Amino acid sequence: MSGSNVWSRSRERLRRFPELLAQCADEAAVYGKCVAATTTGKQELKKDVCAKEFEALKTCFTNAAKKKTR
Amino acid sequence: HRRPASSWTTCWGRAQARSGPGSGSGPGSGSGSMNVFNREMKRRQKNWAAVLQDGHQYDYLREEVKLGFGSVRFGIQVRSFPLVLDLGGGKSYIAEHLSKFILCVVFQKLGRRSDIPTRSVVADEEFLPFRENSFHLVVSSLSLHWINDLPRVLSEQIHRVLKPDGVFIGAMAGGDTLYELRCSLQLAQSEREGGFSPHVSPYTAVTDLGNLLGRARFNMLTVDVDDVQVHYPGIMELMTDLQGMGESNCAWNRRSMLHRDTMLAAAAVYKEMYGNPDGSVPATFQILYMIGWKPHESQAKPARRGSATVSFRDLAKVSRPDGADQS
Repeated sequence: MSGSNVWSRSRERLRRFPELLAQCADEAAVYGKCVAATTTGKQELKKDVCAKEFEALKTCFTNAAKKKTR
Repeated sequence: HRRPASSWTTCWGRAQARSGPGSGSGPGSGSGSMNVFNREMKRRQKNWAAVLQDGHQYDYLREEVKLGFGSVRFGIQVRSFPLVLDLGGGKSYIAEHLSKFILCVVFQKLGRRSDIPTRSVVADEEFLPFRENSFHLVVSSLSLHWINDLPRVLSEQIHRVLKPDGVFIGAMAGGDTLYELRCSLQLAQSEREGGFSPHVSPYTAVTDLGNLLGRARFNMLTVDVDDVQVHYPGIMELMTDLQGMGESNCAWNRRSMLHRDTMLAAAAVYKEMYGNPDGSVPATFQILYMIGWKPHESQAKPARRGSATVSFRDLAKVSRPDGADQS
């Protein structure tokens, strides 16, 4: 049993998760604030209530991932 | 890192507390035994964790609990307990300063190394293969929160195998443990997927613990709470450590997959809602310590009603040490 398979690849992705996230700290903070606001405000937490912020975070994250693999 | 969990975020649908028998089910009800955890899966997780190369790096929580046991808050008179049962032994080594011989009920393959003569038995804590009135002391460190039917284990297993005037000392994760993780996952999953499923175990609330022990017919109860906060770089490191400790989720109702987007969202929410100024995130482990004694005639009992010989009214007349008038 050797070489790269789906398990080793996905584990590798998971390992890089923290460092990639660190590069998107701002977008993460914006998204986090949006979600946190729903716990206090009158606005209920529904699906995609912070979709815009999440898209920004996800874009940043995938870009960071692409950059690293080069 | 020992400070009380300060900020409490209201997170609705807060983990349904595993309530004690107060909800009307008496010891004889026997209707539908509680089956929350997949014990077979827990055994596999523990076995996996036990053979990890540098598994000892995940032992910090157990070390903390060991210190907690050793502290004077316990007030158990130092006496020797000839025969000790250590439930969910493995790497927990608290009984060492109390006894000369330990019998360990282990879930996992590797018993722990110890200077004291130890015998390990592979058994399930919910079905102890011992006669009643066998042990002077039963200890359990950080394993009771994986028990399915806690009331039954306390009364029919632990209480049963203890000798009269024997004592049970336990530490388990309770109430608010990992509330930050639970809330972050819940919020992130709701926002991303429109609903959420439980990812963190239900825990016993500290307020229920006294009831549980009392119903199991333990006397002279002591319950103590210690909030241990551990700081991690982020949610992933926390979850990796939990896995390394053998404390991964094994509830039947768990979802085996966590969507990638939800993970990302949860990481962001965790950091934003609970993060420390230096970028790390805290995780709370609320450790509940308990002591209970199996009844014995030698133990102090509350006085009989109506047997009082003095009245509170006489308090005012109690003579003071600096020589005031006596009654």
